[in-house]
Amino acid sequence: MLRHDVVIVGAGLAGLRTCVELRKKGIDAIIVSKVYPTRSHSGAAQGGVNAAFDENDSWESHFFDTVKGSDYLGDQDAIEILTSEASANILELQKMGVVFNRNAAGGIAQRPFGGQSFPRSCYYADAVGHMMLHGLFDNVLKYNTKILYEYFVTSLVVDDGKVSGIVAYDIKNGRFEGISAKAVLFATGGYGQVYSSNTNALINTGDGMAVSIKAGIPLMDMEFVQFHPTTLKSTGILVTEGARGEGAYLLNSLGVRFMSKYAPKTMELAPRDLVARAEQTEINEGRGVDGAILLDVRHLGKERIMEKLPQIMQLSIDFEGVNPIYEPIPIRPGAHYSMGGIKTDNNCRTIIRGFYSAGESACVSVHGANRLGGNSLLDTVVFGRRAGIDIAEYIKGAVYGKFDESILKRDEEIFENLKESSGKERHGLLKAELQEEMRADVGVFREEIAMKKAIEKIEGLKERAKNIGIDDKSKTFNTDIVEAFEFNNILLMAEVIARGAVSRKESRGAHYRTDFPERDDTNWLKHTLATLDDKGNIKFDFSNVSISKFEPKPRTY
Amino acid sequence: MEFKVKVYRFNPEFDDKPYYKDYVLEDFPGMTVLNALISIKSEIDGTLSFRRSCRSAICGSCAMKINGISKLACKTQVGPEIEKFGIIKIDPLSNMPIIRDLVVEQEGFFDKIKEIQPYLMGKSNVGEHADDFHALKEGEKITQPVFFKSEFRNLTGNNDTPNCILCECCYSECGGVTGNKDYLGPAALAKLYRYSEDPRDNDKNGTRLVNGSKPNRMWDCVHCQACEEFCPKGISPVKSIVKLHEKAIKNSINFSNGAKHIISIAKSIGETGGLDEIKVALDTGGITGLISDLPMAFGAGLKGKIPPIRLKLIKDMEDIRLAYKILDLEEK
Ligand SMILES: Cc1cc2nc3c(=O)[nH]c(=O)nc-3n(C[C@H](O)[C@H](O)[C@H](O)COP(=O)(O)OP(=O)(O)OC[C@H]3O[C@@H](n4cnc5c(N)ncnc54)[C@H](O)[C@@H]3O)c2cc1C
Ligand code: SF4
Ligand code: SF4
Ligand code: FES
Repeated sequence: MLRHDVVIVGAGLAGLRTCVELRKKGIDAIIVSKVYPTRSHSGAAQGGVNAAFDENDSWESHFFDTVKGSDYLGDQDAIEILTSEASANILELQKMGVVFNRNAAGGIAQRPFGGQSFPRSCYYADAVGHMMLHGLFDNVLKYNTKILYEYFVTSLVVDDGKVSGIVAYDIKNGRFEGISAKAVLFATGGYGQVYSSNTNALINTGDGMAVSIKAGIPLMDMEFVQFHPTTLKSTGILVTEGARGEGAYLLNSLGVRFMSKYAPKTMELAPRDLVARAEQTEINEGRGVDGAILLDVRHLGKERIMEKLPQIMQLSIDFEGVNPIYEPIPIRPGAHYSMGGIKTDNNCRTIIRGFYSAGESACVSVHGANRLGGNSLLDTVVFGRRAGIDIAEYIKGAVYGKFDESILKRDEEIFENLKESSGKERHGLLKAELQEEMRADVGVFREEIAMKKAIEKIEGLKERAKNIGIDDKSKTFNTDIVEAFEFNNILLMAEVIARGAVSRKESRGAHYRTDFPERDDTNWLKHTLATLDDKGNIKFDFSNVSISKFEPKPRTY
Repeated sequence: MEFKVKVYRFNPEFDDKPYYKDYVLEDFPGMTVLNALISIKSEIDGTLSFRRSCRSAICGSCAMKINGISKLACKTQVGPEIEKFGIIKIDPLSNMPIIRDLVVEQEGFFDKIKEIQPYLMGKSNVGEHADDFHALKEGEKITQPVFFKSEFRNLTGNNDTPNCILCECCYSECGGVTGNKDYLGPAALAKLYRYSEDPRDNDKNGTRLVNGSKPNRMWDCVHCQACEEFCPKGISPVKSIVKLHEKAIKNSINFSNGAKHIISIAKSIGETGGLDEIKVALDTGGITGLISDLPMAFGAGLKGKIPPIRLKLIKDMEDIRLAYKILDLEEK
């Protein structure tokens, strides 16, 4: 059994940012991650990170844009923190070694992003997440941090309302490890793998959220899943909104910039939920091109494409066989971001003392019903930092709790049983079925009957999952068994999403019900909280939205 | 179209020695080698182990040898490989111990990254803004420190070193590492260069360059160019290494044999227009050094990786002298 004051689970931007905050104070904090830190999905972020720097811009305007973008479901006290701390956080990153492109005046260059009334997305070409991830990781190395990588966390250990540690599976050596801790942070990222055609890494399976709900911690607003309007048709790989920020057009099969119909003022730079629905409508009404829409950057010219969008050019060539300098790129909406997550307060605390969450796995909520592009990276660093500060204070007065070893034994048994099972079902195939069902029936457009069908399908998959067989009986780097465990996590996430979506009888942000097409502030201006009852059934409670400065108004662009 | 995938398999728990296993798959347009491996794993044989995450060439997880060359599986399409080789043969990366199947031990690689002190040193000259961190009040603006594009000129280009994803392709192909397991290798040195070029860095004493000049570091590159050839991100670590050499010599950090070697070569050519190899070797490491270099030179030679310094005698000494003046090397 290991023992450390703070265990940070997840080494994407949120986890690393928390880690730096703790390590620079000399606190005994370690990182536990199922992949080596630089393999985390934060590295894939392309477009930018928002902060108001220009003298004609203001953080208050960023504040309002975010509230409006969230379709008024974001908590305004939290959004105020996000936006008023934004610029200081970016400068702090810059001081730590992160490089941003420069403007002519010698400041950080900024590009327009959807739903933002001012160009305020700071970028590093089209690889800003990569730059931030490696920059922060280098600082983690600087402070000589212990990193348990390729450790897969399976349980949170709680003792009388207080966290006492975690259980993790050491993938390389095939053994379980208990780590006792005064404080634990989950920065485990999102659950994009619930859907087929998604922009997410294969490792984004909502593990942290699944572990949390099983430990009795509520998940908030899980029905809000962002569909990104521009993902490559055949693979779902992302084409950054930065492309539209640089001036790209969206065209239908008639060659028409159809956004004029849906968002005449902001056109291609309307928020993501709107653009995704516009595209899906065009496709559904027969104006798509082989089930896709075209993203055209040709008019930007070769030089600008190569300077500002080099990764996009390469991805289009490698993964779609299209060179965007000469041809438009076929794209369609794909699952992208989890607005919902582990419910936290503004200091990233959960209802369990000493247990924190930050980044995409958490729901503060700063994104409400729809996240604006460039606000998620910001979320990871602003709240990662705040978590670090709060944890440093918390552990001063905290002692190690009792570590219930039976939880470790239980997880060991689950793995052993899975490994020995001679079931006929293959988890890889079940996953594909689940993902396709979720895309078809709990996707961009939703409706009661289809969603009920999805829930039935999920129930069926839960039964079949009991019959999963594992080919790999080895203890050495057994990814077969890890993937089976991940499948069970996305299955649980899918159920929480689908049931939450059925229960929310309105349309708000990314959650669009064709049978309830209007936003309903009277009944539904509230957060959904999902927990499990004794039998493992999902139940819902609701909580109020914090509204300070901006009263809900109709949302037009 | 059906095609064959031949995969290196080895599990130390069950196998005495490695073997190859064949799988037959059906391709689809745009299919990548990673797609192929995933369908083998989920449909045919769950025991095949490999790393993967982003599937978009940015996380660096999926490097492996495909038809003999270290590549990212997610970025490599099946079609062209089949056209060229008629098969997809997959092996784990070289220069690293094998844990199982296509999974290699990365600990050594990452330890070497850590050795080069990959962070800004000294009191960073980015202004004091971040020290008095606070949330902005109503109506408050923040001023940012000024850095011009030109100051970051070697850090913001598409193929500049910060774009490295630590995928280990270069490391796997590196002749320097093959000949000397302790050599830091291309990725670590490219990162060293990246921080040495950062305008915010305040490494006044040249700690980083001194550190980088110790044995097994920048001077142990054998200039085989493999890192440049095989980097999936178009980065050239060897160019960074050559620039590090220049920096070290310019800063008179010439305690290392490598630096002495270069200076001696420069002297030899500067004086005679030719290369007195014995003298250069003696200047560099003394007589013991000359002898101890042999096994390493031999090892590299065996792998077909030979240091490229094979200068011919040159007639026009004046031109050489002029070139030296321009390069500002003569007096160093
Ligand atoms: C393609 C793409 C582009 C994007 N572009 C932008 C953009 O331009 N601007 C923007 O603001 N946002 C963008 N986003 C969103 C943003 O990148 C993410 O929301 C953010 O990076 C999430 O960071 P994180 O630290 O919360 O999680 P992640 O970076 O996903 O890290 C999760 C970590 O948790 C670990 N982990 C997970 N489960 C376990 C487990 N069971 N055991 C142990 N460890 C575990 C993983 O190993 C990993 O280290 C983009 C997202 C995608 C998919
Ligand atoms: S040029 Fe140097 S660093 Fe690059 S692969 Fe060859 S020996 Fe290694
Ligand atoms: S330099 Fe290129 S090949 Fe080497 S680790 Fe970095 S990205 Fe990979
Ligand atoms: S899976 Fe990330 S680089 Fe290939």
